[in-house]
Amino acid sequence: MVAPATAFILVFSLVPVVYGLGISFTEYNPLHRGLPEWVGLRNYADLFTQPQFGKALGVTGLFVLMVLPATVVLATALALLVDRPFRGVGAVRAALYIPNIVSLTAVSMVWLWIYSQHGLLNELLGLAGLPAQDLLHDESTALAAAAAMRVWKALGSNMVLILAGLQSIPRELYEAARVDGAGPWQRFRYVTVPGLRPILVFVVAMDIIYLAQSFAEIYVLTQGGPLGSTTTVNYLIYTSAFQYNQFGSSSAMAFVLFAFIAGFSLVSVRGILGRQR
Amino acid sequence: MAVSHHRRIAVGTAAIALTAALAACGMGGGTAEQTGSNQLTVWFPGTDPAESALVEDTLVPAFEEQTGAEVEVTYVDYADLSNKLTAAFAAGTAPDVFGHGPAAVADFVANDRLEPLQDYVDGLDQADLDDLATALPGGQVDGEQYLVPLQMQGWALAYDRSDFAAAGLDPDSPPTTWEAVRDAAAQLTVRDGDGAITRSGLLLATDPIGRQQSFATLIAGAGGELVDTADLTAAFDTPEGREALDYYVDLFNGDDAVATGLGVTYSANPTAQQPLVTDTASITLLSANAISKLAAEAPDLDLGIMQPLRFEDSDTPAAFGGAGPGLMINADSHVKDLAWQFIEYMTGADVNQEYVASFGGIPVRASAADSGYVAESPVLPAFLDAAPYFVPNPNVPGWVQARDTMDAHLEEALNQKAPTDEVLADMAAAVDDVLESSR
Amino acid sequence: MTARTIDGGRRMAAATRIALIAVAAILVLVPFAWMASIAFTPAEQAFGSISLIPDNPTTANFEAALTQIDLLRALGNSLVVALVCVAANCLVAPLAGYAFARLKFPGSGVVLLVIVATTAIPVSVTLIPLFLMAKTFPLAGGNDLFGSGGTGLLDTLAVVTIPHLVGAMNVFLSRQYFAGMGSELAEAARLDGAGEWRIYWRVYLPLARPLIAVVAIFSFTGTWDDFLWPLVTTTSQEHYTVQLALVQFNATGNVQYGPLMAGAILITLPVLAVFLLNQRSFISGLAEGGTKG
Repeated sequence: MVAPATAFILVFSLVPVVYGLGISFTEYNPLHRGLPEWVGLRNYADLFTQPQFGKALGVTGLFVLMVLPATVVLATALALLVDRPFRGVGAVRAALYIPNIVSLTAVSMVWLWIYSQHGLLNELLGLAGLPAQDLLHDESTALAAAAAMRVWKALGSNMVLILAGLQSIPRELYEAARVDGAGPWQRFRYVTVPGLRPILVFVVAMDIIYLAQSFAEIYVLTQGGPLGSTTTVNYLIYTSAFQYNQFGSSSAMAFVLFAFIAGFSLVSVRGILGRQR
Repeated sequence: MAVSHHRRIAVGTAAIALTAALAACGMGGGTAEQTGSNQLTVWFPGTDPAESALVEDTLVPAFEEQTGAEVEVTYVDYADLSNKLTAAFAAGTAPDVFGHGPAAVADFVANDRLEPLQDYVDGLDQADLDDLATALPGGQVDGEQYLVPLQMQGWALAYDRSDFAAAGLDPDSPPTTWEAVRDAAAQLTVRDGDGAITRSGLLLATDPIGRQQSFATLIAGAGGELVDTADLTAAFDTPEGREALDYYVDLFNGDDAVATGLGVTYSANPTAQQPLVTDTASITLLSANAISKLAAEAPDLDLGIMQPLRFEDSDTPAAFGGAGPGLMINADSHVKDLAWQFIEYMTGADVNQEYVASFGGIPVRASAADSGYVAESPVLPAFLDAAPYFVPNPNVPGWVQARDTMDAHLEEALNQKAPTDEVLADMAAAVDDVLESSR
Repeated sequence: MTARTIDGGRRMAAATRIALIAVAAILVLVPFAWMASIAFTPAEQAFGSISLIPDNPTTANFEAALTQIDLLRALGNSLVVALVCVAANCLVAPLAGYAFARLKFPGSGVVLLVIVATTAIPVSVTLIPLFLMAKTFPLAGGNDLFGSGGTGLLDTLAVVTIPHLVGAMNVFLSRQYFAGMGSELAEAARLDGAGEWRIYWRVYLPLARPLIAVVAIFSFTGTWDDFLWPLVTTTSQEHYTVQLALVQFNATGNVQYGPLMAGAILITLPVLAVFLLNQRSFISGLAEGGTKG
């Protein structure tokens, strides 16, 4: 029964990983007609001497840190708001979920518009009597501007997951807490939070995996600039693989990224799996 | 409730079964096409709707009529072109003919991906060779032809004549040196009460590709060059390079800056958002295509075009330009003769003129100067006058990466992260590394 | 506290809640209002227009989206690809998840852990190897048995589909879902002499509608939104998916905002429909799958 899925994942996930690991030890120019040249660990060694890669790792980490806490806290708040049924709750939930299902490219174009010189943001700032901003062209704000879009985009899916978590908390626990004289805050602190822990671990792990791979929004909004302040690892991989034809070293970058993602997310995934034993 | 569930499941199952059946058909038929003797695949760079409509609906059908060939044209956006070509070459699915900028040619040649076109070119009539004489060298690597340009390109300073008049400058005799432009720009710059610039006197491009092109224009005007093409090393860490970079950086920085909007793209914007139209700049550096568009779409703008400029200590004016994007033939194509026929067709006098007219470009043939299209254009005659002074980017392997490396360093200089002499030295070392590893 | 103030307090709380929900929904939806506004604004006044309601609303952008590019064909392609992936995922993932939850076999924990771990593999790790594997796929696209000579699966709809056929996350969610259902039903059915297959198909799967909704939505949206993989593996326009078709309006230096946004709305509607139809099951399915166990 597990054979079809396992075989598939073996062939289409694990084989490519091994294959890719092999590529990362070679100098491989796809335009070149000869075979890739084996260079051992040189691609990896080079990464540590190139300041761009270290910087891109930092940018990627910072991006995750900017988006993750904000989106989880806001999504939890939204989930609490739409947890109890009311007329039109389905429509509201769907509305909040929409950002998640519109393609990232199209959504990024809308935000490009919002941030533009005469865009929504500057119109609002103007109404408030504040000076216009050019967030995407300022080294100190560009990454935050991209992160704000991503918070908005990730909100819906996180909210739905957390909502699911809320609904799996047995109502009796709340009743019991109420009988024990717990107020709203105490019920939240001692019933809701522990009840949500497994789903939060799941949400955090999945968000780390997706956010650490940010590419499309960077590509549309900033192309990695200004001054490399939004060049994420995946953006760097993309340019070195497809603009400079360096499949070997870009595979090496991808594996280092993989190690970081796996390190940070495996801890939390284990949290869920460990719980059920 | 239960009923509706069942119905939904039934409908869903039917839909899935139907789709699976459709998919089976679709996949069965979806094998790669074998290129027959009269089938030609062509990738064009760019996505201008007027251009692609002309090519797909008029030019290609006429070619098919003439030759009996079947041509499949695909337009690929510049941003996606490199990765699609890389993937397609790795896969063996690359088209017979494809377009790209001259900057990419040397890398393809270094990897033996292009058919040498020298024999085909040598077979042209002398009259055609003379007519194409300014264009062809831009598609050569080590003296051998690999790309035939479809258009010429050039960059020039476009200016608002009414701004000049209002500032007491003569719009009919614009400056001829960069120093004089800078003086004019100081008079044209407008500031608000806080001293912030609201209208740039002289705006050069500072977006990622634009930075390298602006610098190329300036260093050419200073009498310097970017790369020594003989020994493939950086050639800009010189007094000329220093003069060009200092000039560029000072436009945007310091108390007497004449430009604002560092890093913001303007050159690729639609006409309505061009700084000259929104009155946020009085002089901007633009391509011939962009200026043609301005002239056509902003009739209220009193547009002037300057000839290439020089610095006072240099003898010859110069600007970034030369051969533009063109067509190449895949070395693995099975229909190379047909592919060449297509290139010849696209560079024929009438067809080429119709083609460049669809986006306001400069025709590839010198004889087009006498044509109605050029003569009637308010823009193109100025570019044909300037043609002898255009300097292209070098065709050396690794150029795309070298260009991006330069760009990153130029950005640092513009943002004053380091002094210009330091930036030039670092930039030269980095570009040397790239060129050496691509040799 | 009197009953009255409690009542008043509750009403206040309810009003605050509704107000907060309204504010949140508006904030989330403003960019979409913008998107719709751009889609209905005539091209010549589009960029930088700040009026949310266009002065001269037009449907020209929708016509452009449907005629300038072959969006209908791309919609058809994406629909075929997405539905095949939905069908495959709904067949295979719950089956595997059930087996991991119910039937302990030697090494099942390790296998499950490995499957879950594959969700952390960045696309950038597998993109190039998968591409090369597709190129050397035996006996397809002119290839011989050893995968050389032709172009393999490249530039087909099959190659766009295959990597999405089974999602590791779907297997994991299914496992969680079935683990949460308990084993009593299986034991009862076993007493009646039913085999494992029968127990799965007749007892557990019919109860797993919410799970199917989750798997369907995840696999549909995942396939529908994929951009980089179809970009590098397809070359001819007849195999373009919706995302590839749409970026033709997002050309360097020539962004056609109106048709782009109109097209984005058109390609979002199917996903939105899938979500709305299954919203309730989706959330309860996630509640079972993601959190219990």
